[in-house]
Parts: sequence; C-alpha cells; structure tokens
Amino acid sequence: MMTLVIGGSGSGKSTYAEKISVELGGQSNKYYLATMKVYDKEIQQKVERHRRLRSGKGFLTIEQPIRIQKALEKMEAGSRIALLECISNLTANEMFAEGEGAAENEVAQTVVQGITLLKEQTTHLVVVTNNVFEDGTIYDEATMAYIRAMGSINQKLAALADRMVEVIAGIPIMIKQ
Amino acid sequence: MRLVIGGYAQGKLDYVLCKYQLQGFMVWDGTLPKDKELQTKTVVINHFHHWVKKRIQEGGRPEEEILIFLKSCKDCIIICDEIGNGIVPMEAFERQYRERVGRILIQLAGEAQEVWRILCGIGQKIK
Repeated sequence: MMTLVIGGSGSGKSTYAEKISVELGGQSNKYYLATMKVYDKEIQQKVERHRRLRSGKGFLTIEQPIRIQKALEKMEAGSRIALLECISNLTANEMFAEGEGAAENEVAQTVVQGITLLKEQTTHLVVVTNNVFEDGTIYDEATMAYIRAMGSINQKLAALADRMVEVIAGIPIMIKQ
Repeated sequence: MRLVIGGYAQGKLDYVLCKYQLQGFMVWDGTLPKDKELQTKTVVINHFHHWVKKRIQEGGRPEEEILIFLKSCKDCIIICDEIGNGIVPMEAFERQYRERVGRILIQLAGEAQEVWRILCGIGQKIK
C-alpha cells in the first residue's frame, strides 16, 4: 500500500503524514527516510523541528539523500512502514548533487524507480511531496527543469499510490482513494 | 471566525461578499481593526497575508497577535492568499514569511468554524 501526501510550504503535510504513519504502523517497524542534506543553520533548525515532531513516535531514522531504494538495505525484514520525506529534496539531490544538473528525464526515472521498489518491499509506504507549481514565476532553465521533473514524478507517484491526500492549512483533502 | 483561502486573483473577496450577503460589513485591507473600530459591523479582513508580512517586518509576533485579536472579534471573516505552493525562495525573509503564513493558517483553520478554499471563483468548503 502507498499513500502520497502533497502540500505547500507550511501546509502541515509532514504532521499529517507522520500521524497516518503512526496510525498505520501498529506493531510494525516504522522508518523515517530523511532526504535533507544539512549544509547550513536554517536547514539544521528545520531538521531539528522535524525531529522534535517525530520524537516519541517510534520512528527509526534512515538518512538517504539519494538513491532512495538503498534505504531498504538498512531496514529489518518483516512488517514495516516507511515514511519518506520528501520528494522535492530527493529530486533536488538527484538533480544537482553531482555537479551540474542531471537530465530531468533520468532524474524522474531514478526517483520513480526507487519509490516503486520501496512500495513493493514495505507493508505501507507514505510519501510526502511538495506543491512547487503555483508561484507563476519563470525561473532559470535549471530550476524550470527541476519543476518539470517534479511534475512528472508527482504524476507517476499519484498513479502508483493507492491513496493521495492534499493538505491545506492542516486540513487533509482526499484526492484519490 | 471563518477562514477563506486560495491563490492570488481567485475571487475570494467577491465570493465572501456574495455568499454571506452581509448587510453591514467593513472590509479591512491588510490590517486589523483597532478595538474601538469594531462597532457592530461584520469585520472582513482581506489580504491577511499582507498583515502577517508587515508584522514580521516590524518584528511582531503575528502568531500570538491574531489569537488575541480574535478574542475581541469572534465573528470575523479572514481572507488570505495561499502563498506556499511554489519553489523555495532564495531570500531568507521570503522563506520565513511563506512558512509563517502557512503555520498561522493551520492555527486559524483549527480555530475557524468554517474554512473555504476558493479556486476560479468557486468555493469548496474544506471544514
């Protein structure tokens, strides 16, 4: 089973995704797949805020900023729930981590393949993604390629997911069920 | 309190004015009324995000100030743009502003009796 959670910045998507992961979790091992690379204080604070929100909820954190399927090697066998946060970081890392931008189609393919494997090999996968599409700004070509890759990935993940939920001002709206 | 959100230029204020057929109302643009200005008219706060931005720039605490305001104005309508659905801005202030508007909206949506999302002039009741 897979649930895709989408929302904008500050929408409450993470809190919601954590809540449903805990509810789905039961006695299963719960893994939090963290994709954010910490390179400054602001990111560090963001990571710490997310850690605080998660603390006491029984998640084991796996840091996996690229090639997300490798997180599977770090999980125990058996019933397991994975919460992946988030596609926008993973995509940015795949695209820009190794110097100048990798081709958007390849990036999209890598990310979707990774998620497909995670879905197949977990009891329930919850994936958080980001609505980066509605600010109407024309950015430089690298950023536009990133937005297109995100659009393509989101469409494929929405097709792959059993459920999709949009979170607006902390309110979950069912998009696909 | 009722909360009305949506993207830029989606017809949020028109939607509010049509939907609620308000008899006596007063629209405040990007600002909150002072206590003595509350009177008996229904208070509509338009462009709420502008107020949040201004208070952040002035070093205020909009998260707390709006809750204090709501104690004296329980029946108001707050209209706010959704600004979080885009690429993370380059400037730190813009990032902080976007994030804080989002978090304040979560707080307000929790308090509100109704939450509406407006798209192309059409309202969807999400709470």
